[in-house]
Amino acid sequence: MAEIITGERRAAIDPLKFSQPLGAALVFLGLADSLPIMHGSQGCASFAKALLTRHFNEPIPLQTTAISEVTAVMGSGEAMVATLDAIRKKQRPAIIGLLTTGVTEVSGEDIGGQLRTYLATWADADADTAPLIIGVSTPDFLGGLSDGWSAALEALIRAVVPAPMTAEAGSDAPTALIAASAPPAATLPAAPPAAASSAATMLAGAARAIPAAAPVTTTVPASPLSRRAGTTDEDVADRNLVAVLAGPALTAADLDEVAGLVRAFGLDPVLVPDLSASVDGHLAPAWQPTTTGGAGLAELRSLRRAGAVLVAGATAAPAGELLAARTGARLLHHRHLSGLTETDALVAELMAHTGRTAPEQVRRARARLADGLLDAHFVLGGVRVAIAGEPETLLAAGSLLRDVGAEIVTAVSPTPAPALADAPWAEVVIGDLTEFAERAQAAGAELVLGSSHARGIAERIGAAFLPIGFPIFDRLGTALAGTAGYAGSLRLLLDAANRVLDHGHAHARPGRPPLPASPGSAAAGHRAATEIPQQGRATAEPDELDNLFQESPC
Amino acid sequence: MAATERAALFTETACDHNNAKSAKARKAGCPKPKPGGTSGGCTFDGAMITLVPITDSAHLVHGPISCAGNSWDGRGSLSSGPTLFRHGFTTDMSENDVVLGGEQRLFDSICEVVERYAPPAVFVYSTCVTAMIGDDLGAVCAAAAEQTGVPVIPVEAPGFVGNKNLGNKIAGQTLLDHVIGTVEPGDVTDLDVNLIGEYNIAGELWDVVPLLTRLGIRVRSCISGDARYRDIAAAHRAKATMVVCSRALLGLARGLEERYGIPWFEGSFYGVSAMGDTLRGFARLLDDDELSRRTEELIAVEEAAVEAAIAPYRARLTGRKAVLYTGGVKSWSIVSALQDLGIEVVGSGITKSSDGDVDKIRELLGDAKMISEGSPRELLRVAEETGADILVAGGRNQYTALKGRLPFLDINQERHIPYAGYTGMVEFARRLDMAIASPVWEQVRRPAPWDLVGAH
Repeated sequence: MAEIITGERRAAIDPLKFSQPLGAALVFLGLADSLPIMHGSQGCASFAKALLTRHFNEPIPLQTTAISEVTAVMGSGEAMVATLDAIRKKQRPAIIGLLTTGVTEVSGEDIGGQLRTYLATWADADADTAPLIIGVSTPDFLGGLSDGWSAALEALIRAVVPAPMTAEAGSDAPTALIAASAPPAATLPAAPPAAASSAATMLAGAARAIPAAAPVTTTVPASPLSRRAGTTDEDVADRNLVAVLAGPALTAADLDEVAGLVRAFGLDPVLVPDLSASVDGHLAPAWQPTTTGGAGLAELRSLRRAGAVLVAGATAAPAGELLAARTGARLLHHRHLSGLTETDALVAELMAHTGRTAPEQVRRARARLADGLLDAHFVLGGVRVAIAGEPETLLAAGSLLRDVGAEIVTAVSPTPAPALADAPWAEVVIGDLTEFAERAQAAGAELVLGSSHARGIAERIGAAFLPIGFPIFDRLGTALAGTAGYAGSLRLLLDAANRVLDHGHAHARPGRPPLPASPGSAAAGHRAATEIPQQGRATAEPDELDNLFQESPC
Repeated sequence: MAATERAALFTETACDHNNAKSAKARKAGCPKPKPGGTSGGCTFDGAMITLVPITDSAHLVHGPISCAGNSWDGRGSLSSGPTLFRHGFTTDMSENDVVLGGEQRLFDSICEVVERYAPPAVFVYSTCVTAMIGDDLGAVCAAAAEQTGVPVIPVEAPGFVGNKNLGNKIAGQTLLDHVIGTVEPGDVTDLDVNLIGEYNIAGELWDVVPLLTRLGIRVRSCISGDARYRDIAAAHRAKATMVVCSRALLGLARGLEERYGIPWFEGSFYGVSAMGDTLRGFARLLDDDELSRRTEELIAVEEAAVEAAIAPYRARLTGRKAVLYTGGVKSWSIVSALQDLGIEVVGSGITKSSDGDVDKIRELLGDAKMISEGSPRELLRVAEETGADILVAGGRNQYTALKGRLPFLDINQERHIPYAGYTGMVEFARRLDMAIASPVWEQVRRPAPWDLVGAH
């Protein structure tokens, strides 16, 4: 259990925090043919777009309502309508996320109401091309990236999975902020079956009688089934369908592995959001102005039939709990999926759910991780580690390193989160990178994990560095580097160990100039490697390494 | 800055783009951001671009986290010394500050920053939210300056007042009103000059300054690239000003002329002929015959050297076709640079260029090749139709080009390679050649095995 400590400083210096709309935009970037819009000044979107492009090395579809000082004061509704009209005509996305920002939230406008009014006006016009539009309340001055991710994912689930006819009608309404005056979904009349499947009429129905939103979300649910008096095949739960609700710590490689694990038990995963299909770095047949992959509308609608809901990351928990409550599906809850224990727990759940045993490739991957844990514990055992990142990233990487005996001496999160209290080390500090640098240095950290912004800190305090989290703009291929599941955990662990070993090589003999890090210096690096047992610093005890070399069966 | 003062920034008499407009159009100011059709930065962004390269100062953003959080340490402007400008300082306003007002937090934050880093000055930026809630930036800055004894400069350029250009203008006006003229230098020479609108992207300044040094010209201040606060504050003692590729900062140059009698000219560091014109421009304004003679000598030597260095590239590049999408002076100076290399410019975007710039592009290219829409889709379409070999544009179009399997060269702000001056021209040729000739294009354009005709 970790103690949560908040810094005292008034200014943020080198912020670790990113804003809610950015986190929400990431969720919409993981949906197919989707386009997030930031409802704010054009800078809100352009800064976010530049940052996301820098991290993913991909074109990022992101639009803006371009609020001016006049519209900010006199009402931003017209700009919102103009934006939605323009985008429906030009980019024609299937899914639009309308994300509020500080500037549109601070005036206290009824943005949810404006959105409902808008939907009501065009709903009947062009049913076939109508996109699903979801509004999410994400003011910049509250919370951070993870909160925006949570809010967007929950709004998405609320929009595409109808509440059960009786159970939830009452539970939504009292908490509604923006859509408080609307009647609950369950009171909606049945829509004509023929029209029910088209997005436009769904939205029209929704617009006329939007179910109330949770405190942080304005949603426009597309929920034909909630309006069908009778049930259809679409209502019948599919035991094999697993809704995987992912948090921001999972990379494209992680999502691949989790999906593969679910498939290995004969199940069909639907990943929401699925950044492994959109911004993983793939060369699509042609350029397009919306996302090139991710969970599509049909998949999103299939979530109502889910037989199990896998929460893959604490950030996705609110959405997962909502989905499980609405579908009655089994909830598999994981605050993170890094390490042997967490992955074992998931595998056990999948076994229980299917009655199947684990196939050979899963067993092999586990055996490799187990062996890697053993190898790595010689290198990482006792190493003082400092980590900065989003709550879920801290939990995942910190737990994994602790599993091999590393000591988490500094952990800094930009925002508080309930799951942080369960971190298996002493304390988590809510703060910025300056706070992180000071504490890491004071604690004598030997390995620093964090975004590219933390690289300089590692250099300053003389620690090894492993980039994780967001943003990483000075490495290629981070989307394809695993951090979770059996294989991903092994990759992260070996990477961390290798950074510590490399660092030991480079700093092997104090007073000698560091070895060149260029790829061409293999010979020099090799020479240094043989010196490690004698010259390695406290990070790798010489006798331990000797043991490793002697006892290795190879 | 009040809205009326901002409106005055739009009546830039030195701007031919502005002068060509009708009275009504002039009143309307710069183009308004268009909902759903805009991808550029905001006014706050523009102000930061111009001022943050004052490298020894702290740049504190008063607003919620997104304004600084998404942008700090994100630009390619380099420093030869201080690194304070690369830190992200922000008040990171919470909901409480929004409700109760953020002035106290701002004051405390300024004091904290000064105590911690002892900068020569603190620049404080307002944002949309702090403008909306009515925090009095000027009053807080004045109080903090008194408390700390350090100049605290209010930059009132909230994002929602307009586009990036307006932010550049406000930044220029802020320097005129609060900074320039506050320090008297003890080392004035007759050949001191100011550069305005040069941001030292990828260290470009360092390819230009040595040329000026060889002529005996000293850069008093560069607004703003690799800049120091006290040098900017002493800009009023320069003898000439060059405006580098920036319409938005003409007002600053004119202000320096009106207030301090410093003559100015517009020039560019991109391309062999533009570079020659620029050096001659300095010689002309500094009005020194000996300097003119030295300048002609240097130009002759450098041009001969560049000519020899780019000859092999020209041989390989002649006949290639390029689509160009950039703005300002660059939109025609790069055209002529590309033509110098034997490359045919088959299309050039004009949406970011002033009327005067467009006239020059027309002179060089003719009407048919001007692209009036800058969307990625349109650029790719033009490239495909014309059989272009490369897209030369800003970083935001990089991935558009790559996804279209089209070679790309970054010519704007975010790049990492310097192209200014004579050495920059050679580098430009080398990079163009590398981009077009890379073996990677043949790879990624190959059909997949399953797409081959006759495949099963």
